[in-house]
Amino acid sequence: MFGKTSSPIRQLLTVVLAAGSLMVVDSYTTWLSPLHKVADNVVRPLYWIANIPEGIQDWGKISVISRGVLEQDNLRMQQESLIHLGQLQRMSELAAENVRLRQLLNATELLMDSVLVTEVIGVSPNPRGHTVTIDRGRDDGVYVGQPLLDAEGLMGQITTVYSGHSIALLITDSTHALPVQVLRNGVRSIAEGVSDFNRMTLRFVSPTADIIEGDQLVSSGLGGLFPVGYPVGVVTSIKQKPGAIFVDIDVDPSAQLDRSRHLLLVFTTGDLGRGGSDR
Amino acid sequence: MRVESLTGPVILSLIIATVFQLIPTSGVWIFWRPNFLLLVVIAWILYIPDRFGIGFAAMVGLLADTLFRTTLGHYVLVFAVCGTIAYLLSRWLMYLSMFHRAILIFIITICAELIQAMLFSIWDVPFALNYSPTVAAFAALSWPIVDLLISRVQVRRP
Repeated sequence: MFGKTSSPIRQLLTVVLAAGSLMVVDSYTTWLSPLHKVADNVVRPLYWIANIPEGIQDWGKISVISRGVLEQDNLRMQQESLIHLGQLQRMSELAAENVRLRQLLNATELLMDSVLVTEVIGVSPNPRGHTVTIDRGRDDGVYVGQPLLDAEGLMGQITTVYSGHSIALLITDSTHALPVQVLRNGVRSIAEGVSDFNRMTLRFVSPTADIIEGDQLVSSGLGGLFPVGYPVGVVTSIKQKPGAIFVDIDVDPSAQLDRSRHLLLVFTTGDLGRGGSDR
Repeated sequence: MRVESLTGPVILSLIIATVFQLIPTSGVWIFWRPNFLLLVVIAWILYIPDRFGIGFAAMVGLLADTLFRTTLGHYVLVFAVCGTIAYLLSRWLMYLSMFHRAILIFIITICAELIQAMLFSIWDVPFALNYSPTVAAFAALSWPIVDLLISRVQVRRP
């Protein structure tokens, strides 16, 4: 790349200038986007290879298990299923009542969401960039901006879609923000990521706002991107600095952002035209 | 030794380092994992500085940028600076024991973390520097394996 006579410092200066120019071009223009897309497709097999140890571990967990443990699991699941079925009966009664009340108020009926199960096939090796790669893509009807859930709560949204895989930005990424509301009283706010899998912050909350520690936050549906009512996190601490106009509120995300492997892609009825109709 | 003969080991070492880098982890291991690509680059530069230099480090940095989905140029800069340090120190390699080389890796990793913190601060991305000593310690602990493997390839040269 460099001539043998060129000094190391001169070489370094050249590289620093080139790197600086690349960073500026990549940050402020979209000229290099095709390059990113090509590179993502090229390195995808490496993600697959990197997942082999975890796949073997999962296979071992499933294959090497004693009969006693299986029986215990089976019994526990049957009991859980019974409890959930009981709760579901109550839920369907509540849902029917909710529809009746909404009709009385002449309000729009809540849309039912359909989901598609997907698996994480790669996580960003950069601890500051919170993205995951999933095994569903354009062929499965996935689209940019589609919400992603795990069993516990909202995980993030799809940012890049390829034919067979997609990349999702997690809600804890420092570039991500989503509108939320307190489940207890409906107070609205914006939850922002801070590049920490276990923490988010609420922005621009007045010291007089009715938010207390332990409050459950759910997506408010404002902005139209995320569906309403999915768990986002729990308020863990509220601090007010002297003289500050707003309070600092920390939120513990509900989703297991750095652990979940099987996720759900949400298709609301409004997305049917975008590819979710056949689910 | 013919010029092409090192291409295979270099590509293989980069692929292995990349796979180690991409293995999904959770909890604090996400932050503690050393940059294996950087370790491999430093090893090649330390052992064969007449073949691998700052340009090589910059090219692998570009590969790291695409892998880590960072702004292109970010790891080019980090790898080039660390590669330059390794290149300048390579002439004293024969006087350094494995322990000294591990300490050298610890210092280079701290430098890499500081440069990253500076770059992330430009883009207003939070960077927890409190993880840096642990990352550097794990890099230093991983170094003997990388060092032994690369030195084996280097020693086999006729």
